[in-house]
Amino acid sequence: MEKILLKNIENPNSADIREYQKTGGYQSISNAFEMQPRDVIEEVKSSGLRGRGGAGFPTAMKWNFANADPKFPKYLVCNADEGEPGTFKDRPILEKNPHLLIEGMVISGYALRAEYGYIYLRGEYPLAKDILDNAIAQAREKNYLGENILGKNVKFELSVYQGAGAYICGEETALIESLEGKKGQPRSKPPFPVNVGAWEMPTIVNNVETLSNVPYIIAIGGEAYSKIGREDCTGPKLYCVSGHVVKPGVYELPMGTNLRDIIYKHAGGIKNNKKLKAVLPGGISTPVLPADRIDCLMDFISMPKHGSMLGSGAVIVMDESVCMVKVAHRALKFFEHESCGKCVPCREGTGWLRQILGRIESGKGKQGDIELLSDITDIMSGRTFCPLGDGAAGVVTGMLRHFRDEFEEHIKSGHCKLSIDN
Amino acid sequence: MFNETVLKEIDGIRAKYPDARSALLPSLYVAQREFGWLSPEAMTCVAKTLNLPEAMVRGTASFYAMFRHNPVGRNVIQLCTNVSCMILGSDRLLDLLKSRFDLEPGETTKDGRFSLVIMECIGACGTAPAMLVNTDFHDNLTEQNLEEIMGKYK
Amino acid sequence: MITITINGKNIKLDEPMSVLKAAGKAGIKIPTLCHHDALETYGGCRLCVVEVERMPKLQNACTLIAADGMVITTESEVISKVRRGILELLLINHPLDCPYCDKAGECELQDLVDKYGPTVGRYTEIKRKVPASHKDEIFVRNMDRCVVCTRCVRMCNKVQGASAIDIIGRGNKSRMEPFSSASFNCEYCGNCLSVCPVGAILSRLYLHSFRPWQIDREVETVCSYCGVGCSVVVQVRDDSIKRVIPRFGLGLNNGLLCSRGRFGYEYINSEERLKEPLIRKNGKLEKSTWSEAIDFTAKKLTEIKNSHGGDAVAGIASPRCTNEDNYVFQKFMRMACGTNNIDSVSRMGFASAQKYLEDLLGQGVTSNMISGVKNADTILVVGGDPTAVNPILGLAVREAARNGAAVAVIGEAKGLEKFKTLKVVPPVFREAELLESLLSEVAEAKDPRNERPAVDQGISQLSGGSAGVDTGELKKILLDGKSISIILGSDLVQRANGHRALFAIAGLTYMLEARLTLLSDRPNEQGLIDMGCLPDTLPGGRPVTVHDFRDKFENEWNGTIPENEGLSLLEIIEGAENGNIKALYVMGENPAFNLPDSSSARKALESLDLLVVQDIFLTETAEIADVVFPSSGWAEKQGTYTNLERRIQLLNKAVGASSSMEDWKILKEVSIKMGYQMTYSSAEDVMDEIATVSPLYSDLTYREISAGHCLWPYHGKPLRGEINELPASAEAPEDYKEDLYLVIDKPLFHSGSLSRKSPALRKICPEPLLRIGPGHAQKLGLKDGDLVDVSTSKGGFDVTLSVDDCLGDGKVYLSNNFEDRGVLSLMGYRLDPVTKAPGIEGCAVKIQKKADSSAGSDKS
Ligand SMILES: Cc1cc2nc3c(=O)[nH]c(=O)nc-3n(C[C@H](O)[C@H](O)[C@H](O)COP(=O)(O)O)c2cc1C
Ligand code: SF4
Ligand code: SF4
Ligand code: SF4
Ligand code: FES
Repeated sequence: MEKILLKNIENPNSADIREYQKTGGYQSISNAFEMQPRDVIEEVKSSGLRGRGGAGFPTAMKWNFANADPKFPKYLVCNADEGEPGTFKDRPILEKNPHLLIEGMVISGYALRAEYGYIYLRGEYPLAKDILDNAIAQAREKNYLGENILGKNVKFELSVYQGAGAYICGEETALIESLEGKKGQPRSKPPFPVNVGAWEMPTIVNNVETLSNVPYIIAIGGEAYSKIGREDCTGPKLYCVSGHVVKPGVYELPMGTNLRDIIYKHAGGIKNNKKLKAVLPGGISTPVLPADRIDCLMDFISMPKHGSMLGSGAVIVMDESVCMVKVAHRALKFFEHESCGKCVPCREGTGWLRQILGRIESGKGKQGDIELLSDITDIMSGRTFCPLGDGAAGVVTGMLRHFRDEFEEHIKSGHCKLSIDN
Repeated sequence: MFNETVLKEIDGIRAKYPDARSALLPSLYVAQREFGWLSPEAMTCVAKTLNLPEAMVRGTASFYAMFRHNPVGRNVIQLCTNVSCMILGSDRLLDLLKSRFDLEPGETTKDGRFSLVIMECIGACGTAPAMLVNTDFHDNLTEQNLEEIMGKYK
Repeated sequence: MITITINGKNIKLDEPMSVLKAAGKAGIKIPTLCHHDALETYGGCRLCVVEVERMPKLQNACTLIAADGMVITTESEVISKVRRGILELLLINHPLDCPYCDKAGECELQDLVDKYGPTVGRYTEIKRKVPASHKDEIFVRNMDRCVVCTRCVRMCNKVQGASAIDIIGRGNKSRMEPFSSASFNCEYCGNCLSVCPVGAILSRLYLHSFRPWQIDREVETVCSYCGVGCSVVVQVRDDSIKRVIPRFGLGLNNGLLCSRGRFGYEYINSEERLKEPLIRKNGKLEKSTWSEAIDFTAKKLTEIKNSHGGDAVAGIASPRCTNEDNYVFQKFMRMACGTNNIDSVSRMGFASAQKYLEDLLGQGVTSNMISGVKNADTILVVGGDPTAVNPILGLAVREAARNGAAVAVIGEAKGLEKFKTLKVVPPVFREAELLESLLSEVAEAKDPRNERPAVDQGISQLSGGSAGVDTGELKKILLDGKSISIILGSDLVQRANGHRALFAIAGLTYMLEARLTLLSDRPNEQGLIDMGCLPDTLPGGRPVTVHDFRDKFENEWNGTIPENEGLSLLEIIEGAENGNIKALYVMGENPAFNLPDSSSARKALESLDLLVVQDIFLTETAEIADVVFPSSGWAEKQGTYTNLERRIQLLNKAVGASSSMEDWKILKEVSIKMGYQMTYSSAEDVMDEIATVSPLYSDLTYREISAGHCLWPYHGKPLRGEINELPASAEAPEDYKEDLYLVIDKPLFHSGSLSRKSPALRKICPEPLLRIGPGHAQKLGLKDGDLVDVSTSKGGFDVTLSVDDCLGDGKVYLSNNFEDRGVLSLMGYRLDPVTKAPGIEGCAVKIQKKADSSAGSDKS
């Protein structure tokens, strides 16, 4: 497959606007401006594009909701919070291909009649901040941004808003709160951001990767785009593979590529001739898959059938040396640290789970701990305000489903077999 | 209080948003840059500049992990220990920092040269284990190259 | 119309609302910890789960909007299990110290655990510990018990508007912080404490002193501090007040209170209360008996009246006393003593303003509902800070601002700093000119009204001069308003040309068809006026000089009313000074402290032949009296107050084994001894008479009053109150060229000389502070916390300086609350010829740093 999102990134100057233009960049803006905003949305609809932020929501459907709301101004917000552990797919776009994102946002802004755009960038990406600021300045200079873009009477202003270290701000309503200068705590929905979002105005939040698909859709047309990937999950997808593989990195592949192929064909298989033990297929918030269950298509529709999720497409590969109790413990430490504290089940449940897992890991597990873990996840599941807490419970549930023995073993023997073997 | 240049910078930030409160996070970054950390005085300056209640400024600042509520050393080591980094050895790096530099998470070396902050994922899992020193990424860390890298920061 | 079914009950809803609210309307309680009716929805506790038919997952009732046809179940085994689970999570880090916690018995968490379990604790890890914080003078924080419902924070931010607290930290490290008046603007309203469902915020006033179930009785009454008239519930044990609390759904304050109302009640229980009558013998006040004191007073008054005439006697009534007290007071003065020399400190603001405004615009022009302010789209605040003088009215202004109303402030209103749309500060003491030029501009932009000749004529005669500030933006805000409230404080009345500002306000009210509200810093200023405690009006606002009115009252009262207007407040003091007034009867007031040039006032009072004082404390005035009667205080008697909306509300007796007597009763006894009969046996008898004699109150009964809604104009007939010609105009404005002027401050935490007897308020604000703007402080080389000597031509003393960022240059602010250091003692006055209010503006002041003051504030 030709590279669409990661096109040209081997070029060390790929972030420069001239390099981007050389390879056809910014041409989709003129094409889009020839169309009616409504038709741009139609084009995206026929492309079948789904949001790449994790939930896989059809992008054009979200846009149409926003479009139907009579309130103005509308805001377009790019979710560049990329906080899901294991995920580093938006980073190459932000650092190496910023103009692709900017072009995507200008077109999307035009389609949505939004005149202001914000890129909510996680605080942990200082390099991307500089690159984006620079790219925005270049684009403004070339009149791709501003009051009267390309003399076509289209206005779009864009700036970067830097997050400050809170995973929950990746959740779109928490992101909006944060953009308003508040704590990043999720809002209740409805009303949805497309109707009441930032500063109470209709706000469209899309992931970096989602928006970066837009110029290509305009370039080749929605129909043609929809031929990439699978019928109900189209387009290219960035899979980021980390952990015990020979060639970790970001792979741009058709949506729905087989997980096994991603690991073995593209990422070169398991390092040091070790055996595969488990995979977290879409970041640590997605339930674990044991080695014998990785024959699944990595897209939004197929993965749930296999007991997990595509999430952010962050494939964390673990070989036989990895202790699952330790992973679960580390994951819950993360969730405890990142719980925003708004709702009781997540705020208190994550900490309790973490403490029990910590005890088991350090050999102080007790009879009944496993039952208690699963009771706590029962209390949490479906009861938290936002999916973060649910995800935390799901991680433990997944681990217990596939690796219960390992937990029992820890409790019984009081130590980890693996760390001794090592 | 902030000097004129900083006040102007904050004015500029404010102009980007429909509401002064939106300027809070960026202004806290500015204050952190100016004061080295978010001292009570720094937060008071932000509150006054933006005409926001102090309790609100403090509450908001305390929510975010990248705002420093204690003085930090000249160089802040932000080491990721999340799963991808952990399974590739971030624990060993932590041990090294402790044994070699007497540096524990959340603390600062006696000479004020380094502070250590444990990070959740910093988006460098493909080149794990990884860290940020101040605003520089360092990837594929090993016990050897960690010492070398630290040597560059005075 | 939306129809839903909850637990088998059909419920019809007129508008969309949450399932929780709909259930509440139908009397079905769904458990919650984070939800509170007075606060915006949060959705954090997850206890409000319900089952909804055709929805696979349990739903949260607080955030789920009821849709037509929904079938909802609020209790079931599944739901209980979920609630039990959530409660278990809430208890894992809870200290489980109920036996020791004050909240036990009224703790929402405890009640829920009682109902839903959990029975056994499965948590064996280490509990999170947050040490209790006792740093604050009023609040104790036990963050171990906090359930992070954020009710307190939402209350403080979104209702109180102080934004003094917030949740610090995130996740399970969250805790509420911090409470500290100086740096975080806590207004000590205690409203956060009211809504905390658990024992995380407690009041030191009653810490460990009683349990909720140990209350002997609860009495609903009205707060004694300001003209808003908040409803409170007084909880009593062993005949002493344990706690004063508001109640949601009760009164116009609907669950909210301010610092004074909530924490200022301790004066009632004070050891310093007067316990027996005192008579001056050989120059010293000595204990006496009731009958001796009554006989003595009656005899002396009769003597003076007989030898010098009724005009040698005068009376000062009290805006802290009830309508019944004040009614009997003026009747006593008029009928027993034969004088119209009756006035009160309300002359210094409210009474003067209202009289003048009603003369121009008709009776009732200032009688507007506080809820109207809440709903206004435009609010003009001038001459005072509603958030300090009348805090609950202040909250209405803040709420309106939050809802998008334009709030324009002329002068200073610190509590509105973060809520105002526009603030205009005219040059010192030039507000009248500013308002006049604003009025001419507004009048020019509007069609003439031609309804009130005097006002129309006054407007046409405005000089059109300006105070040297641009009024363009102000004008625009006012002209854009569709529903305008004007709020006027007493600062502008206390001017030698105060009536000019009042005319301008009247004109603006008239031209803009605005609703006018007067700030009122005492609880019954309106009632005192309506009861006729004025030198020129009888009860119901009827002019004493009009024969027909006098005649009617003379028939009812069986005697003769003097035909001439009496002396006003400061004229009475001047009368005492020059010997025309020989006897003064003071009920519940402290003129030796509360009047400008108070040392002269004190001297004048000392020179009287007879000074009678009824009070609850030995005030500065009582100290120099010839007879002192210990009267019953608020909470010890029944009666009514009329608030600044002119709503009449009932006070009830909560405690009262003390040896005091109600004010009206003391007056009655003295009156009888003087030969004028009074036969009331209760306050209700007095009200019955008021309802008979005053056309304004015809048919009014305690029963009707206690049912609430006793709103102006009752069933009565207000006067149109038109005057056809404007009173004499003022002199040309003066130039104020001094560098620094002293002005009076109305603080939030104190009120008159009453609050200083309440330890809690003294802890919150222990000493007077001289407030100065940062610019002027710098100019004088002074810093926050410096001890300075403040002096004027009338005297001086030491105070602590407080640098306040909200203030500009040229003025310093000082209150009149603390012993020996009241601002009024430093100020002279000139009477406004029209309103007779004392003008206290233009008081030049010097402040100088005390040499030894650096130790405390400047460590460097
Ligand atoms: C806990 C949580 C964290 C999330 N983090 C991210 C994130 O880092 N980046 C992102 O694009 N979306 C994230 N999302 C998804 C967003 O809420 C939202 O669905 C997405 O930004 C929509 O964009 P899309 O439609 O383009 O996917 C997160 C969601 C949750 C519940
Ligand atoms: S599940 Fe609840 S506490 Fe956790 S992050 Fe979401 S809203 Fe916050
Ligand atoms: S007492 Fe009032 S002002 Fe102070 S923190 Fe509580 S709610 Fe806020
Ligand atoms: S202190 Fe009370 S009201 Fe405030 S968050 Fe805690 S439990 Fe809720
Ligand atoms: S897990 Fe360490 S960078 Fe992602």
